[in-house]
Amino acid sequence: MLPQSISSRASNQSRRDPTAPLRHLDPVLIGCIVILSIVGLIAVFSATRGPGPDFSKSYLVKQSIFMLIGAGALGLFAAIDYRKLHDWAWVLYGATTFLLVLVISPFGSQSHGAQSWFALGPFQLQPAEFAKLSLIGALAFLVSEFRGDIDLRRLVALLATAGLPMALIMLQPDLGETLILVVITMAILLVGGLPTKYIVALTLVGLIGTLGALNSPVLADYQRNRLTAFVNPGDKSNKALYNIEQSQQAIANGRLTGQGLFDGPQTKLGFVPEQQTDFIFTAVAEQFGFVGSALMLLLYGLLCYRIWRIAQVAKDSFGTYICVGVLAMFGFSAFENVGMAMGIMPVTGIPLLLISAGGSSTITALAALGLVLNVHMRRFQ
Amino acid sequence: MDTTSPRLRMSILGVVVLGCFLALFARLWYLQVMEAPALAIQATANRTRTIATEAPRGRIFDAKGRVIVDNRTSLIVSIDRNELKKVKNRNELIARLADVLTSNGAPIKISTIEKRLSEKQADQLQAVPIAADVTEEVIHHLSEYSEDFPSVSFERKTVRVYPYGTAASNVLGYTGRITAETLKALEPGTDPDGVVKSYHPDSIIGLAGVEATYEKDLRGTPGVELVQVDSKNRPVGTESYQPPKSGNDIQLHIDIDVQVRAEQALVDRLAVLRGTSQRDGTKRAAPAGSVVVLDPRDGGVIALATAPAYDPQEFANGITQERYSQLQNINGASALIDRSITGQYAPGSTFKLVTATAALSNGLIDGKSSIYDDGVYKVGNPAQEFTNSGGQKNGNVNVVRALTVSSDVYFYWLGDRMDGTTLIQDAATAYGYDKKTGIDLPNESAGYVLTKAEKKALHNKYPTAYPNGDWYTGDNVQLAVGQNVVVVTPLQIARAYAAFANGGTVYQPHVVWKILQPNSSLSKPSDVLRIIDPVVTGTVTLPPDVRGPIESGLEGVTGPTGTAASAFAGFDLSAFPVVGKTGTAQVDGKADTSIFASYGPAVAPRWVVTSVMEESGFGAEAAGEVVRHVYELLANQSLTGAGTATSGTRD
Repeated sequence: MLPQSISSRASNQSRRDPTAPLRHLDPVLIGCIVILSIVGLIAVFSATRGPGPDFSKSYLVKQSIFMLIGAGALGLFAAIDYRKLHDWAWVLYGATTFLLVLVISPFGSQSHGAQSWFALGPFQLQPAEFAKLSLIGALAFLVSEFRGDIDLRRLVALLATAGLPMALIMLQPDLGETLILVVITMAILLVGGLPTKYIVALTLVGLIGTLGALNSPVLADYQRNRLTAFVNPGDKSNKALYNIEQSQQAIANGRLTGQGLFDGPQTKLGFVPEQQTDFIFTAVAEQFGFVGSALMLLLYGLLCYRIWRIAQVAKDSFGTYICVGVLAMFGFSAFENVGMAMGIMPVTGIPLLLISAGGSSTITALAALGLVLNVHMRRFQ
Repeated sequence: MDTTSPRLRMSILGVVVLGCFLALFARLWYLQVMEAPALAIQATANRTRTIATEAPRGRIFDAKGRVIVDNRTSLIVSIDRNELKKVKNRNELIARLADVLTSNGAPIKISTIEKRLSEKQADQLQAVPIAADVTEEVIHHLSEYSEDFPSVSFERKTVRVYPYGTAASNVLGYTGRITAETLKALEPGTDPDGVVKSYHPDSIIGLAGVEATYEKDLRGTPGVELVQVDSKNRPVGTESYQPPKSGNDIQLHIDIDVQVRAEQALVDRLAVLRGTSQRDGTKRAAPAGSVVVLDPRDGGVIALATAPAYDPQEFANGITQERYSQLQNINGASALIDRSITGQYAPGSTFKLVTATAALSNGLIDGKSSIYDDGVYKVGNPAQEFTNSGGQKNGNVNVVRALTVSSDVYFYWLGDRMDGTTLIQDAATAYGYDKKTGIDLPNESAGYVLTKAEKKALHNKYPTAYPNGDWYTGDNVQLAVGQNVVVVTPLQIARAYAAFANGGTVYQPHVVWKILQPNSSLSKPSDVLRIIDPVVTGTVTLPPDVRGPIESGLEGVTGPTGTAASAFAGFDLSAFPVVGKTGTAQVDGKADTSIFASYGPAVAPRWVVTSVMEESGFGAEAAGEVVRHVYELLANQSLTGAGTATSGTRD
């Protein structure tokens, strides 16, 4: 009988150490990571190989290197007991905060109008990506310390912790990364037991703040245009709309089954910008159609579901909050990146984690998933 | 209920994330399945550009099937400016190209190439033409050493050829590049397969003559190449190609032999008369004139000559401003005006056909009513005197003799008697004067035949140009002899005489006879797409008691006692009787306008031949001579039977 055979196998294993972390890897999550990473490599190659016949492999090679480094980071973040992070959370937080300050100093480099990089030879380091992970660690630590009892004073402490990196990143400026930090903070506060009245209050403050920012000189015109493009799709004076239109046409061009691998004329001919990063989804959608891109989204959804599930089975609340933060990071990255390409979200550059080209984001994403696996592996310890 | 319970909050988080993913799936389905067809069309439009290749225009045949407008291939060398930018040794390349062209029979300077390259072009995708009509050797060299000539290309383009030179240039017109305004306004025609003959900024269109009026037929169907371009508009490949298709051929009523004869006779006679003096001593400037040959049986235009004329070939290659100005002043006349349809002249005595018709058909006179012509006709009190030309006294004249000898006095008398009526104007209108004939050529003029009311209206509208608004008996007297208050075009004169010749049917003159399939063979009846049927625009009632006396009078004109006797001296009128009327219209301070209107043969007329010559003197000595030369050819044709095949099929 099936239940018995399972339990007998489990009892066989338990003869050694039933709580051994390696026995509790999440194969579904690992499967998702592996497949999505491969899809990402293919997508990056197809978006950057050029018209040929001498296909450029430089992006593919780079991204593969990042994947390997990321795999190492995943192993590292999974191997060391996540509870040790308790003691290291502030160190990490402090280190990234320092980097965030450094990057807007003359040490940082500018590109696309934002000072967000350190140039390290052929590679670029983007501290804002690491800030996501360190903020998750710091907030998870604090909220778990508060044990579901968040009063106003504690809320202010939490908001200050989250607000510092947000403010530094806004100085670059990088609206997309700031938004991710906002979403991460909101998710952890939600699950961490923030009283409903504060949630309502914060939501109201957020709404008023957003509307105020859109109508104030804080944002540059191009930023405002990007943010409001999806609300007024008919506004011809809005330059951001051109990219969105091209991107949607490219996605539509994929139809049900796609134009085939390496065969998307709209993306291949360069009508969609930043195909290897912000608009990578268009390359996938045009080449693999609804069937392919929906399957990829489904995998992404499954990945998120597994993280959500691990958040629930975690042994302690610290583990839960880490998972919730990572879930927010992945969920929002997918929703914003894909939603922007399809014209239902504001235009702001956020990588589609695991798929988009990019060293810092890929390594951070894999490290974060390492933490989630870590929480899952040690749920019986 | 504890709203802060982690389980509840986890569920809320789960629902939010799930909601986000569902939104993505919904949007994905919408874009890729529901909206895909519409968006894909936009996408295709974005990444493709249409490159049009002009097709050869249809050929033009004369009535006997001779090609009078053909096409030939011109070899054109072009440079793609976008490609040229990528060439390292740009100046060396241009010097090399100039060298190859010059040493292979198509000399060109480096500066000329640079000038062409700097000119603006409508379509940036199209290469810049550097040299036209280069030799085959140039093409051989360029294709053999193509690596040495990056960005240089060559193509074969079709251009117009005129085997008969400048003959009928006013009828055929010319072609040229479309203007931006025309491009917007022009409605494209369709070819025999129903494909739209679209236009683009570099299209060649008919700008004058038949080329313009039959643009929709003559234009070929452009070849259409759908080129895939990248986001920077650089071509990367061909998606589809539809080759160009020639335009419809057309066949004219024009007989190129008659046309050439008419033009030559006109030019020769003008040259002979130019600088000589007419009877009253006025110098003849003889700058310009026209000849019209019509088929009275259907209004077909057999010849339409105007002098001075231009060479349409000059327009084919793009004309310079200087040359254009020259053409506007040849011996004081513009070569760009087709006088046969736009020239406006007092018809002089040729208008007596109208006056006689009005008087006879309204019973004012019959063929025998006569008066005594002592050379002067007096009107009013105090008397205003109107005299015969040269003060000639004709004695007793009836309408027949009055026409033959051109007794103005007789017609002054008729004009006097019809004063207070519009009988003459009505007859003129019946003959087709006072309005455009509707010929299938552009820029026709209408002329006018004033009535009392119209003169008044003109005065009221333009008091300075027409200082006198009253209608005097003198006006009607002048009208009766085609002076002062009447202005006509040579084509209108020809049409009126054609109507008289055929018994009263007024046809709309037509230059074009048949529209044929592209690359047609004239011998195949199935190649005829349509025939331009004769159009009757009115009738003149000409019972025998009206037509008879006039016909007798006009028959006498070419005879020994007639006003055109000198012009037809030695012409075998018994074999080919010509019926006609001279006209000599006075123009203040200049030599007279010489006019001759005629038809022949007298029985069963087949040709109406008229001529109007500016500042050339008496009707017979200028226009009469020209018309006679045309009849010499026609009489020969009719006697030898040449051309019977044509008229046979036309009937």
